[in-house]
Amino acid sequence: MYLAAPLQAKCSSEAAMASISRYEIMPTPDNYTLWYEYHAGHHAGLRRTMDVLISNGDGFEEATLHDLTSTFISSAKEAEVIREASRSIQEALRSLIEVAHRAGAEADDFGIALTNLAARNYGDNKESLREMVDQLIRESRKMAGKSQSASAEMKDRSTEIEILERNLAQALADARTDSLTGTANRKAFDATIRKLAGDAMNSGDDLALLMVDADRFKHVNDTWGHQVGDEVLRHIAATLKHSVRGQDFVARYGGEEFAVLLPFTDSKSAISVAENVRHALIREPLRLALTPPMGPLTVSIGVACYEPGDPLAEWIGRADAALYQAKGEGRDCVRCA
Amino acid sequence: MPTTTKPTYCLLTDDSPTVRKVARRFLQGSDYELDDAGNGQIALEKCAIRMPDVVLLDWNMPVMNGIEFLRAAREQFGRDHPKIVVCTTESGVDYIREAMASGADDYIIKPFDAPTLHAKLSGVLAAPASV
Repeated sequence: MYLAAPLQAKCSSEAAMASISRYEIMPTPDNYTLWYEYHAGHHAGLRRTMDVLISNGDGFEEATLHDLTSTFISSAKEAEVIREASRSIQEALRSLIEVAHRAGAEADDFGIALTNLAARNYGDNKESLREMVDQLIRESRKMAGKSQSASAEMKDRSTEIEILERNLAQALADARTDSLTGTANRKAFDATIRKLAGDAMNSGDDLALLMVDADRFKHVNDTWGHQVGDEVLRHIAATLKHSVRGQDFVARYGGEEFAVLLPFTDSKSAISVAENVRHALIREPLRLALTPPMGPLTVSIGVACYEPGDPLAEWIGRADAALYQAKGEGRDCVRCA
Repeated sequence: MPTTTKPTYCLLTDDSPTVRKVARRFLQGSDYELDDAGNGQIALEKCAIRMPDVVLLDWNMPVMNGIEFLRAAREQFGRDHPKIVVCTTESGVDYIREAMASGADDYIIKPFDAPTLHAKLSGVLAAPASV
């Protein structure tokens, strides 16, 4: 096994390079990772999806590759984070079991509880992992109360586990955050829109979507460089976050496009939220000393309300179409589907 | 297909009028005869009067919820009738395992669209009876 693993890695790596050249794909790190994972065969879902694409013979568009990466590779990274946390927690568990054994008979119940926890297979499912950590903390506290002799050591272990849990929560939050703007990322958006649309279908309450796109963003990047482009995106993200309520959800959808989900909001109120965003950008402009000076930073916004039963892609498509209409009608304006 | 085929009797069991309305809109015009129930108790009474071919079953309902209906229906009417498709939201995915273990034939997650609902219902209706 120790000999086979590097050899296999080398084969997967060569096969990935061969595929990248065969399908005339840009040799970016993401694309390389994608094809490496495909040939290594770690991920059955990725393998199946790509086999279908290969047998269709349609080739691989940039957008397709990007989708594959965000669906399979990014989630695989998150799963890796969870597995890593699981391993640490397993170690903490083992030392707790030792402590419990040393504490003697009165720790029997605790020992059994721990052994049950350790035997549980929580794989890369973060919900069951969290549930396990919570239970572990409860059991540890109970035990700490029972046993005088072991209580100090138990307290140390409990603290250790609580720190692990915080680290885990942080790692999971990072996996759902766009590192440039600090808003939620596309992956978090995809999960949240499904959840909110499910709730809206259940309750019959309104749910609106804004698609917000920076105007002439390519021009900004081309003229003042990507660092200024990044500042523009951060400024728009901050403005969006200040313009919405606590229950609303702001995400970077991709490139210079942001998506905002507004629960309990009909189209009229959604349009006024969108207008507030537009006015806030005018009221609080991005101030950068640039040569040549940058004109006012504006956004175009498309609004669409969820119709229960509509496929989510269609709903997003309607908001996008309204956004294109806003762009077509001179930018710096709001249009509603 | 011969025109004499009996329409599929489908009982939409959900306390949400929106979900019942959407499901009705999706299934109307196809070969379904539709009826509503606002909770598991009403659904159970309707089953006793006339057995549906398939029940679309919400999980969280007042009076009698999805799992209670599921257990009672399997106890009273056996494993094969009616076919039951459990309907829950993303946040209820943990219930799915429990539902499948308690005799549900399939599940669907809200929000669902028309093609998914059709596929789930025809899937369970086409499946052979359990041995």
